[in-house]
Amino acid sequence: MTVTTDAVALGEWVACGWPGKVPVGGHWDTVILGQQVRATRTAADSYEVFTLDRTGTPGRQLPVQSRYCCIFTTLSEPKRPLPEISEFAEPDRRLVNSGCVGVNTSPYRLIENFLDMAHFPFVHTDILGAEEQTEVASYKVEHRKEVDEIWATDCQFFQPAASKAATGGQMTKYVYRIMSPFSIMLYKTVHGDPGRNDAICLFIQPRDETDCLAYMPMALVDAVSTTESMIDFQQTIFLQDRVILENQRPALMPLDLTAEIPTKADVGSVTFRRWLKQSGIWFGTSEKAAA
Amino acid sequence: MALKLYDYTLSGSCYKVRLLLGFLELTYTREQVDFYPGRRHKSLDFLAINPLGQLPVLEDGDLRLRDAQAILCHLANKYDKTGKWLPRDPATFGTVMMWLMFAGGEIMAASAARLHDLLGYDLDIAAARNSAHAAFRILDDHLALREIAGAQWIAGDHPTVADVACYPYVALAGDGGIGHEDYPALRNWLRVFRTIPHFDPMSGIPEFA
Amino acid sequence: MDRSLFRANARLEKARLAVVLGDVEAGRREMQQSQHDAAGARDCWIAVGLDAQIRPQSSHPVIVAGRELALWRGETGPAKVWDDQCPHRGMRLSFGFVRDGTLRCLYHGWGYGEDGRCVSIPAHPELAPPKTICAGAHAVATKYGIIWSNLSAARAATVPEIPAVTDWRPVRSLYIHRSAAVVLAGIAAFDYGAPAEPATPAADVYVVTLGAQTQLLLALQPVEANKTGVHIASSGVDATADRLALVRQMHSLRDAIEAGTGPSR
Repeated sequence: MTVTTDAVALGEWVACGWPGKVPVGGHWDTVILGQQVRATRTAADSYEVFTLDRTGTPGRQLPVQSRYCCIFTTLSEPKRPLPEISEFAEPDRRLVNSGCVGVNTSPYRLIENFLDMAHFPFVHTDILGAEEQTEVASYKVEHRKEVDEIWATDCQFFQPAASKAATGGQMTKYVYRIMSPFSIMLYKTVHGDPGRNDAICLFIQPRDETDCLAYMPMALVDAVSTTESMIDFQQTIFLQDRVILENQRPALMPLDLTAEIPTKADVGSVTFRRWLKQSGIWFGTSEKAAA
Repeated sequence: MALKLYDYTLSGSCYKVRLLLGFLELTYTREQVDFYPGRRHKSLDFLAINPLGQLPVLEDGDLRLRDAQAILCHLANKYDKTGKWLPRDPATFGTVMMWLMFAGGEIMAASAARLHDLLGYDLDIAAARNSAHAAFRILDDHLALREIAGAQWIAGDHPTVADVACYPYVALAGDGGIGHEDYPALRNWLRVFRTIPHFDPMSGIPEFA
Repeated sequence: MDRSLFRANARLEKARLAVVLGDVEAGRREMQQSQHDAAGARDCWIAVGLDAQIRPQSSHPVIVAGRELALWRGETGPAKVWDDQCPHRGMRLSFGFVRDGTLRCLYHGWGYGEDGRCVSIPAHPELAPPKTICAGAHAVATKYGIIWSNLSAARAATVPEIPAVTDWRPVRSLYIHRSAAVVLAGIAAFDYGAPAEPATPAADVYVVTLGAQTQLLLALQPVEANKTGVHIASSGVDATADRLALVRQMHSLRDAIEAGTGPSR
């Protein structure tokens, strides 16, 4: 494995672990964008990340941030800061760390799956969707140039059991926010408190082009459920998606819009693929083969 | 007697027990254990419950049992009035036991591969997958012979604890990068298994009901 | 109707569209792909499974020379062989489910009729799917209890003819971790316990005549460089005990080929 030469990918913050993964003084070795790195917990809330060369000798020190239940680092000069997600600072929020799960596919297949409502009835049957109500109503997608993020708004879908707190079916409202090629989040209707939104994130650690770790921290409004059951809910959902993700062909994301056939429900995905293509990123895409 | 299952939803071994509890229509309470990322199964509190630090554990009144296969036998022995899930007839009992041990032994290589791919367990993934494939071939050979004999279950003419014990990690193999391409008899057995009344699917088993 | 040619044409159509939209590079790739679809696969019939093994309302993964295929059957009728890829988001159709004679993709439930055409998109229930949305369907024939497929568009070849025998019964599909050439040599060298008269009526097809009554048909499926499927049918072996013994013998054949020990019982 060698570190990617894709400057666009190198200029992003990527997750590489979570706070409390090891005791103070402990470390873990992992890989980001093909680069072996070592993260060390130097104090209760302090982490250091170094590159490792092939012999395992530490090289240069990398920037580190610990936010949103994740440790982030970057291999280059980041072209954008970490996103602001204010929900994680609200005092009554339950912050849930579900660890990370390995997925063999392109980071962008993960983002697109997270952004997708049309699969709810078939992949998350009787939880996030039901076969009786499969229609995806029109929603709005925009590229917010000032922050270079993609937002999908006015999304809604009928859900039989939308969250751990849900006691019956509901029309759930969603807002999706693609914050970087390797991070996306959603805001969805809180059960019993339609004025507030649960915030659920997906941060991707791309180890290599089709080898990712997925982190799904959440900031939830739920005073009732146990932490175990909230983790359980999220992992249950994600493992249903994972079967799909690992069996999409090709695993690399085609950015050529004629390679796969989108419909109106996929306007978020189409916008995302265009945005990726315009960014010049090729890590994890099938386009470089032709380039 | 009150039944309590120390459970982790994504554990195939816990799934074995949940399946049989469902087939026998038994009510039980679940104690969810944060296996990942919390590793609560290795906590001192849990080691007092199971010194092996493994899930599942079943409490049945004052009785506390570990090992999915042992729990399956206990549930069938105590609660299955038909005697079908744990057949006592000499022609079937030994075969059921043999495949039950196989489920807790050789097939667990597929569990290891799954833990590697899902949760990053540090192990020899190629060796785990090879061992799982070797085990799947043995079961596929057996089921192919059963088909020729006009049977569709591992032993006898109805599902037993052997089927329940073998099913989860065969069905979940894809999670560990192990395909079912080479096992036609196994694939058909997986399909038949899902028709057992009160069958419940699990995340990672690609099935639309 | 020639499905792969249809698919090649659909590709060509996409190529033209891409060019119209100003994406010359995409257009060039589509052109190349359409040529590949039309001429890429060898014109021959390859055994992909035993007919009896593909139950109604099921879809299965099959790999032929590294190419992933979905082998599926509706509630009734013959089995179908398609590319293992939903045109929408690339999900493998071997994970799909069968509903009302259509194969439905597990990801978004898109339904495809027996000719490969998309007939339903659940996210848009009112929409009649455009006729150009099509799964990659291949030619299929069921003969001797074996499902055969021809992945090429030319398709001048015919399914191997095996004269005189009409009562083939399915025995077993083996998957052997050896190349097709090694497997063929192993089949020829195997000791079947009776005087064997081998014949090869077609490439990758082997017929063994054992005595006056019994014949075995072994049809090869190249999977990968070092893995070969063998789909086996028999004639003249009817008692259950004899059929069980035959399946066990075929398992021994596989094990002998993998052990590389030559002739073996």
